[in-house]
Amino acid sequence: MSASIEITNVTKRYGALTVLDDVSLSIEAGEFVVFLGPSGCGKSTLLRMIAGLEDVTAGTIAVGGERVDTLPPGKRGVAMVFQSYALYPHMTVAQNMSFGLENIGMAKAEIGRRVEQAAATLEIAHLLDRKPAKLSGGQRQRVAIGRAIVKEPKAFLFDEPLSNLDAALRGRTRLELAQLHARLGSTMIFVTHDQVEAMTLADRIVIMHDRKIEQIGTPMEIYQRPASRFVAGFVGSPAMNFVPVKGVNENGGTLRIETCGLGDVAAAIRLPARFSPEGGCLGIRAEDVTVLPAGEAGIPLKADVVERLGDRTLIYGQLADGTKLAAETDGRSEARSGDTLQIALDTSALHLFDAAGIAHHAGGD
Amino acid sequence: MSQDQTTYRPEGLTANRTLLTISIILSIVMMAPVAWLVGLSIKDNKELMLGTESVFAFPYTLVNYLNILYSSQAFGWFFNSLVVAVGQTIGVLVLSSLAGYAFARLEFPFRRTIFVIVLFGLAVPEQAVIIARHQMFNWFGLHNSYLGLILPDLSSAFGVFLMTQFFRAIPREIDEAALLDNASPLRIFWKVLLPLTLPAQATLGIFTFLHAWNDYWWPLISATKKEMFTLTIGIASSQTNFAQSEGLGFLSAQAVFASLPVLIVYVIFQRHIVTAVSGGAVK
Repeated sequence: MSASIEITNVTKRYGALTVLDDVSLSIEAGEFVVFLGPSGCGKSTLLRMIAGLEDVTAGTIAVGGERVDTLPPGKRGVAMVFQSYALYPHMTVAQNMSFGLENIGMAKAEIGRRVEQAAATLEIAHLLDRKPAKLSGGQRQRVAIGRAIVKEPKAFLFDEPLSNLDAALRGRTRLELAQLHARLGSTMIFVTHDQVEAMTLADRIVIMHDRKIEQIGTPMEIYQRPASRFVAGFVGSPAMNFVPVKGVNENGGTLRIETCGLGDVAAAIRLPARFSPEGGCLGIRAEDVTVLPAGEAGIPLKADVVERLGDRTLIYGQLADGTKLAAETDGRSEARSGDTLQIALDTSALHLFDAAGIAHHAGGD
Repeated sequence: MSQDQTTYRPEGLTANRTLLTISIILSIVMMAPVAWLVGLSIKDNKELMLGTESVFAFPYTLVNYLNILYSSQAFGWFFNSLVVAVGQTIGVLVLSSLAGYAFARLEFPFRRTIFVIVLFGLAVPEQAVIIARHQMFNWFGLHNSYLGLILPDLSSAFGVFLMTQFFRAIPREIDEAALLDNASPLRIFWKVLLPLTLPAQATLGIFTFLHAWNDYWWPLISATKKEMFTLTIGIASSQTNFAQSEGLGFLSAQAVFASLPVLIVYVIFQRHIVTAVSGGAVK
């Protein structure tokens, strides 16, 4: 069973402090949506408001068409997996999973059936008699998910559930979560500050910043066409390069952008009539900066640090005016710190940001 | 690896031996009076009248313990102590758990102020309120009753403080998970949170039991009839005439008899007592 979630003009205040400001969002049934943002942006608060663990100062939340912000957490038809898993330490795995079902007076036979089925799905059947203290981090994580699954909720809510796992287990669990979503077809909302988790798991990512939703889109939309300078800088590793802009001239559909470190750059970016270059900047991702072979002329970049990642090499350097810029090249690059390299830009992948941070992309908005 | 290479040891062997020696000496000093008491309790009273050096020599006897069984009121006092100690322990655990949960988890007006007022209770000595308490219990006719002996120490500031801190230490996500599991507040308290406070309950229970068992001051005031004496008061009242009638051996046997429950409690719950005393510094 899965259900749509409708968040309409939701605001959350603690006294004079506003932590969410007029947020609206529609999540379709069966969708996997990730709330992504830096610490303190309000993503966990929004999730907790959907769960009913925080009250709503203004606005409404509906699950499956039914308004739920007036209902207690247990009546909303959602299940939550916490960052710390929040398993009951004195109960066995089976008791942890069945506790919620006992509370609604479900028949023991049905509880047993659901627990067994969930345990089989998550491959934790052999752990049912153990207590959480006797489980590894990954096993606890599965139990927490199992506790959610047995309730057969309308939507699953995950609050940074992978952040307590080590890197290898995190990767594996991420994959298993994606498989679980495919198998159950349930609506899932996943909160994280890890962009890799967001990019790999989400049908759509909701980027949150400074109490508001900054952008909603598919992972590739977010990555390739960020709505703002914040999104462009937050998503992607290394972060997008930003080069200050001095002036902009439009000439027959092509834009000539005067920059501080890259000189004049031509790009097919359509700008609104009242665009002002003042305070603006040009954005380009490291993989769209090409390191030219020795002997070819381009824009000089003095390499400060060279990171070899095996399949690719990241070069962090400075342009002639001191502007910092990162470039990505293949893993066999022989560039070293201190080298002055020649680079070229893929002008079809440029982004122009105005002083307010609004993005304008090459190839149109 | 060569033979003479040794791994680093954080504690030096000499320091360990010195500490062990000091510990043994201190243990002997602490245990000597107890051993003396036990020795006296298994000696004949007539022998002890001639001098207590006989404690080191045979014969020994269990007659003093048999006399407790047949001729003294110690069993009645023992029962009184048991009722008071168990009653007080249960009462303190129930009240402190409820109050601790309320202070740690519930929102109500003046919560912090009330908590501070409760904590003031830790600073007020019993002697400061004893006259007022005596008067009050007199008005209500509670002296010389179990209720009169149990009630005063039920409001344990230490217990409320301990349980509040323990409930606070339980992550709120546990409550929240239970809320999402459709549990009512009462069920969350009873089925989820209370079982997690068992270590604190054990600590508080042991301390309360030991305190109630050993308490002398309030029972001395409240229990004036011999049949309502607790063991501490009963034994003390016997000591006033030991030279004339009951004898040192018999008194010592009563003291050993009185200490037994405390010893049993200590042996069973030793781990929790150590944890309580060390403040949970080492898990």
